[in-house]
Amino acid sequence: MTEPNETGNRPPSNVAELELRAVLDAAVDAVIVIDATGCIETFSHAAERLFGYAADEVIGRNVTVLMPEPFRSQHDGYLTHHIRSGERRIIGKGREVVAQRRDGSLFPVFLSVGRIAAVDPPRFVGLISDITDRKRALEALRRERDRAQAYLDLAQVMLLALDENGTISLVNRKGGEILGWPEDELVGRNWFSTCLPPDLRGDVQSMFRHFFDGAATPAQYAEHEVVTRSGERKLIAWRNVVLRDERGLVIGTLSSGEDVTDQRRRMEALRKSEQLLRDAQSIANLGNFETRLPDGPSYWSRQMHVILGTEPEAGPLSWADYAARCVHPGDRDRVVAAWSRLTSDEQPLDAEYRIVRPDGSIRFVHSIARLGRDAESRVQAAGTLHDITERKNAQEEIRQTQERITQFARLSTMGEMAAGLAHEINQPLTAIATFAQALRRLLATPGAADPEDVELALSQISAQALRAGEVIRRLRSFVKHREAHTELIEPRRLIAELMTFAEPDARLNDIQVRVEAAEDLPLVACDPVQIQQVLLNLIRNAIDATNEASPAGREIRMRMRRDEDGAVEISVEDRGPGISDEVAQHLGNPFYTTKPTGTGLGIAISRSILRAHGGRLAHRPTPGGGATVFFTLPAMPGSDK
Amino acid sequence: MKEKPATVFVVDDDEAVRTSLRLLLKSVGLPVETFASAQEFLDQFDPGRAGCLVLDIRMPGMSGLELQQHLNDRHSIMPIVFITGHGDVPMAVEAMQAGAVDFIQKPFRDQDLIDRINRALEKDREMRGELRERDEIRRRMSQLTPREREVLELVTQGKANKVIAGDLNVSQRTVEIHRARVMEKMGANSLAHLVRMVIEAHRED
Repeated sequence: MTEPNETGNRPPSNVAELELRAVLDAAVDAVIVIDATGCIETFSHAAERLFGYAADEVIGRNVTVLMPEPFRSQHDGYLTHHIRSGERRIIGKGREVVAQRRDGSLFPVFLSVGRIAAVDPPRFVGLISDITDRKRALEALRRERDRAQAYLDLAQVMLLALDENGTISLVNRKGGEILGWPEDELVGRNWFSTCLPPDLRGDVQSMFRHFFDGAATPAQYAEHEVVTRSGERKLIAWRNVVLRDERGLVIGTLSSGEDVTDQRRRMEALRKSEQLLRDAQSIANLGNFETRLPDGPSYWSRQMHVILGTEPEAGPLSWADYAARCVHPGDRDRVVAAWSRLTSDEQPLDAEYRIVRPDGSIRFVHSIARLGRDAESRVQAAGTLHDITERKNAQEEIRQTQERITQFARLSTMGEMAAGLAHEINQPLTAIATFAQALRRLLATPGAADPEDVELALSQISAQALRAGEVIRRLRSFVKHREAHTELIEPRRLIAELMTFAEPDARLNDIQVRVEAAEDLPLVACDPVQIQQVLLNLIRNAIDATNEASPAGREIRMRMRRDEDGAVEISVEDRGPGISDEVAQHLGNPFYTTKPTGTGLGIAISRSILRAHGGRLAHRPTPGGGATVFFTLPAMPGSDK
Repeated sequence: MKEKPATVFVVDDDEAVRTSLRLLLKSVGLPVETFASAQEFLDQFDPGRAGCLVLDIRMPGMSGLELQQHLNDRHSIMPIVFITGHGDVPMAVEAMQAGAVDFIQKPFRDQDLIDRINRALEKDREMRGELRERDEIRRRMSQLTPREREVLELVTQGKANKVIAGDLNVSQRTVEIHRARVMEKMGANSLAHLVRMVIEAHRED
């Protein structure tokens, strides 16, 4: 080995070679020339520094001495393959490879290879630069990037970067979770074809294109759906920015996306339940309210305003305003009292009253409220307001109809008894007429009249006129249209008055009515006319039954006694054919009748009258044949004799 | 035998009506007796008493119609004027078919009632007169001998004396004697009179 010169190799042969050597020695990158067998011909200064070999030490040796396995073993193969086939794998491209120093240490290099043309066999020149620093810098950069990725991955929103082709260049873990893909599989895929539902793809993509044209800037906030790997659609709320290069050209987009599917679902559910509540309130015509006490802010549901006819825009009224403006003056004191019992004594409010709408119309409402605490634990009254006008009207109509039917039944019972009643009025009239005519004859002959006879005739005339008047008065009070009312009455008196009508009818039918009353009967609270109506009905039925069966004893018994429960029981016993099971089944059904001219209302109305009195109507066979129909009336406590 | 005067018997359960009727009949000078029920009247009923019955058709217990039936069963001839109420026409018809003389609806005009009562009393008088006459004929007939009774039968059959003599196998003269006796005992002034009396005697009561 000769003295190492500047480049180490053979001495320069000419100027061109000197120039080349100067270039080689000046180059920062190592320059190595090998022949077709791989033998090193030239080894530049930089190569000496890089590999730790003096040029002399390596010139003439195979270049593989500078490589670690497996490159070392493969190199000869590459070389012969290239020379034989002319195929280029490295030449003109350059690649990163690992090099080995004289001391055996390895280091990364960037190798570019050129073939020196026009010599045969060919020779090759290799340019080698140490990329250890660059590698290190890249590694640092990679770590930096990983850290950034970690931050991104921590973010609870999807982060997504797209390049100008719509290729995913970055997606964080949350994005992967939402979309159902491993993040690294998503990177490099086309966003639009991978993650958008087909129906949205076109629109979103064309908008995306506009960002790059500069024709549009992305909306700060947008919502649209994505499709996950499993095909599920999710609604994402997006925030977008565009990424620009240093010249200001758009090179991509960066978006953060939040999965709002559940939130939207919850909101939708909430909206739906609010709608349901509103619909339900509207259908039921029921509103609800809350009032912070003593007279703080209120909440009124929409239906409150509908019921009260107030403007929803004006908001709820304070309690004081409500009482003054909405509550009917006739009910106001009562409602205010109920409210103050609620607010000061915590007594739940449950009241029916009238309200007046601004247009003056009146509605019936039923309000229920109780004390509670609001979300901030402040005392508040919460309740409902129910518009019951229709129900009230219907109830009133039913009540009136019932009243009319009862009245009708009374008249029709009276109609059946008309003959008996006519007789009852005819008797005193006959007596009056006859007394008057007798008197006229007596007085026609002066001195012929016995003063006692005159006195008798006159007093009888007035007594009989009163008697007829009394029958008519009772008849009138019985049949005239009237409101139901309750009074305390002795059962015996109830029956005594009734006999005015019942007795003539019975007599007309050649039937005896016997009344048997226990001694210790208490007072009963009832509407006498209604109870008499029931009794008259039962007597009528008993008379018909008696006529039907024509039993030997033409007799009806009315008994009054206290039953086992202390109630007053009044029974009407006949000796007719009795009540068959078939008839008993239908007894009391309105319009069911066994009589040719019956209305079928008598028993039905009697039942409802007794129900209203807290009593009941029932029947049992009369011992020895016939029917006994009886009813009970609750005794007035403490009215025992 | 001295008869009681014809009496109006009033049966009505309504005391006021009863009293007013008594006073009215008294005012026109008619003897009157009143009863509160059909049974009460029936208990003291004497078929021999003259008069008429004013009867309420509807009464508790025994009705007017039932009382009429009882009286008919006892061959009473007492005329009945029924007092009826409204709507009692079917019962009134029944009463008339059973022999009542009349009915009147309450309330009534006094004169209408009095007229009906007078007609009833008149009828009672007539009927009692006829009864008395029939009794007299039967009394006379009972005084005839058997032979005279035979002659009476044949004479009233319109047979001539000669034929009767043949039938009885006696002389015509004997027949003439019997016949004269019969005419005398019966108080008949002609054959026609005799025949009428025999018919009357055979009438049912």
